[in-house]
Amino acid sequence: MALTGLQIFKLLPNTNCKKCGYPTCLAFAMKLAAGKESLDKCPDASEEARAALGAASAPPIRGVTIGSGDRAVTVGEETVFFRHEKTFVRKPGLFRVLDPAKVADPEATVARWAAIRIERAGETFRVDGVAIREIPSAAAQCLACADATMKHGLPAIVLAETPDGAGKLVEKLKSHRPLLVPPAGADPGPYASIAARHGIPLVVSAPDLSALASSAAEIVKSGVADVLLEPPAADLPALHRDLTLIRRGALDRVHPGLGHPVFLRVGQGEIEKAVLGITKFASVLVIEDDASETWLPLWTLRQNIYTDPQKPLQMDPGIYAIGEPGPKSPMLVTTNFSLTYFIVSTEIEATGVPSHLVVVDAEGMSVLTAWSAGKFSGDRVGKALRELGATDRVAHHTVIIPGYVSVISGELEDALGHGWRVLTGPQEASDIAPFFRDVWSGYP
Amino acid sequence: MSLNLKPKKWAGAIRQVTLGARTRRPLVVAGGRGLPMHTFEAEFPHRPALALEITDVDPPRWPDAVRQPWDGVVGRPGEAAARAVRDFGADLLMLHLVGTHPDRGNRTADEAVADVRGVLKAVDVPLIVKGPGTGQKQNEVLSRVAEQCAGEGLVLHSACQEDFRTLAAVTVAYGHVLVAESPIDINIAKQVNILLSESNVDLNRVLIDPLTGGLGYGLEYTYSVMERVRLAALGGDTMLNCPVICLVGEEAWKAKEAKVPADKEPLWGDQRARGLHWEIATATPLLLAGADILVLRHPDALAHVRRTIDVWFPQTAGG
Ligand code: B12
Ligand code: SF4
Repeated sequence: MALTGLQIFKLLPNTNCKKCGYPTCLAFAMKLAAGKESLDKCPDASEEARAALGAASAPPIRGVTIGSGDRAVTVGEETVFFRHEKTFVRKPGLFRVLDPAKVADPEATVARWAAIRIERAGETFRVDGVAIREIPSAAAQCLACADATMKHGLPAIVLAETPDGAGKLVEKLKSHRPLLVPPAGADPGPYASIAARHGIPLVVSAPDLSALASSAAEIVKSGVADVLLEPPAADLPALHRDLTLIRRGALDRVHPGLGHPVFLRVGQGEIEKAVLGITKFASVLVIEDDASETWLPLWTLRQNIYTDPQKPLQMDPGIYAIGEPGPKSPMLVTTNFSLTYFIVSTEIEATGVPSHLVVVDAEGMSVLTAWSAGKFSGDRVGKALRELGATDRVAHHTVIIPGYVSVISGELEDALGHGWRVLTGPQEASDIAPFFRDVWSGYP
Repeated sequence: MSLNLKPKKWAGAIRQVTLGARTRRPLVVAGGRGLPMHTFEAEFPHRPALALEITDVDPPRWPDAVRQPWDGVVGRPGEAAARAVRDFGADLLMLHLVGTHPDRGNRTADEAVADVRGVLKAVDVPLIVKGPGTGQKQNEVLSRVAEQCAGEGLVLHSACQEDFRTLAAVTVAYGHVLVAESPIDINIAKQVNILLSESNVDLNRVLIDPLTGGLGYGLEYTYSVMERVRLAALGGDTMLNCPVICLVGEEAWKAKEAKVPADKEPLWGDQRARGLHWEIATATPLLLAGADILVLRHPDALAHVRRTIDVWFPQTAGG
């Protein structure tokens, strides 16, 4: 729980020796409480004071890692309720449920999931891991699922039915740090001892939030360091309440049992639940639905919500080659907003025409936003083209600009100087193909 | 240690705005006294309202997946309106006068009035009338509609910082409601409302359109600006506590992801369901960020969001 200035003051030597640079211990304590100073500056602080302050400055939500190696998923460590206050930092892990009873060939299924890569605006969307449903009557098949998951290097979650069966799966997966999920409402005891024995994370559930907080705190005391909380909610509004109160309680440090990431099960056809979870603080979602048309919007939503509001996803300014362009290939210019670059480059690629795509620094803004903010004026673009050396790349001395900023063409021509032509392209990137065909082909 | 989680109390509340009058069945929106959808700790006298979008002419850019449920009535506002209310259960409608745009048919203000009358005759729910976009033509079209349909409590979409006087005047003169639009900017949102109230518009007759970025196309900006607007409103800022309207359908179906067929992008899945999910996944976060009215395009998206609202507000009036 955060300490007040007075609480901290009581832990200090109270000698007012000024070695910390403050006239009194109290003044120093106030700065510590505000998070503006570090206790290291007081050479005489006791061990006790260090321990107390250390606990108080620990992140309000503990980080938990599932899996190992470069595909490991770390969640938690959030520090705000609203993303505009700072940013959300740890993207929720989206796991697919692998049901041994429904999947004939787990190896083929996991291989297919592991191969998915969708590039979007600077991020690669992938299935973050596999949640294996433990089915007591299909033990061999369950183990085959675990093998397939490990083979493809994906983090695993064990959705337990029985301590016995889950224990065997965990035994197999243990070097890969699986997350163990007891059946909701089950006695946590046997599962907690499996998790403690292998040092793996565990999901805690309870009939209400109060019980959830105390149960989580107890399980941590019993030796499981990493836990996730499963909200007790039965429907969407209750889930929203639980997610809200857990995050709020964790940030206000009202109870140590709330300072953990949240785990959520999403059934078939429950896209709203997944949307709610991703938008509002859930950290690990296990999703039954494996349809691409469900996952694409969820990945995209996660990308949106977890983008740092202070700095939009940006590309490095530069000249990007699409295909193998030469001096006769078209040269197009756009902004360094990742989304803009992603859309435009995809469309140019689809035309099959090798091109130079020049990305100029517009502080990560879209074309019209940048133009409105004065970051994509003719002068600025002209200067950037010269500085990047783009003007030396093409013999035809022609540059194609986005249709939405046709107004800059005169200024840009002036900025580039004699012999340069500015050609206004289409407004929508999807019209670049017909533009190449109908306009560019007759040009250079 | 037992849990003591106190409900959050706020100084401010969102204004309640009545949409529709005279021949309209009035619909009151907003009035919430807490963070959006926080029904577990604050009072919400009205549930969020769901509108469907219809158009005066055949809108060239609607993908097939979203045209299909409107088959036979696309660009026939009266018939589309009847279907939207009777079959699809819309709480209110938005008639988008696309065809009045100088580049999209340049239909006249009188033709627009006839279209609006056709809708008013077909249904008795409140009506949002959206012009062709800021400028002289929009002012001409919307003022004629406002004058000819005086007293109907229409929702005029929209006025902005640079151009608000004409619509402010007809809103006051003919008893309508005005949407104040701002480009995802809390300061401009506030500024437009200040300008409107200085022009004698009662802010109890104003809605804020913060400008919607669709999923994958700026949703996060809209989301955060809406959260900030709502926080300011609940903190007591009476220039920002108007209900919020989001034009979801238009933005969601603009996305490439809603338009590309499955055979072109095999990893993207079924096109129809994908588009629908795009609309749902744009609408739901915006509800959580404070939307009081969502304007949707696909009736199945409306049905989904409706289900969410039904469990969330089982007893609440409206809808
Ligand atoms: C999200 C957004 C923002 C975000 C910024 C997002 C970002 N990183 O850029 C925020 C909230 C910060 C913002 C701020 C502002 N915004 Co803004 N914003 C938008 C919004 C909703 C979406 C922009 C977007 O992401 N588009 C998607 C990208 C991919 O589009 P794009 O870059 O244009 O690329 C497309 C095409 O241009 C083309 N293309 C791109 N490059 C190339 C290259 C070639 C060669 C070709 C052929 C084609 C091509 O392909 C792409 C797809 O087709 C739009 C409205 C809208 N729905 O479009 C307003 C909009 C762009 N914003 C606008 C304004 C006015 C502003 C502000 C000035 C408002 C203000 N006073 O605060 C500020 C300016 C910023 C500043 N001073 O800091 C106006 C611009 C008006 C105008 N016509 O000039 C718009 C159109 C909204 C409006 N209708 O009023 N904005
Ligand atoms: S250095 Fe430590 S003991 Fe000395 S004044 Fe500062 S806080 Fe007090």
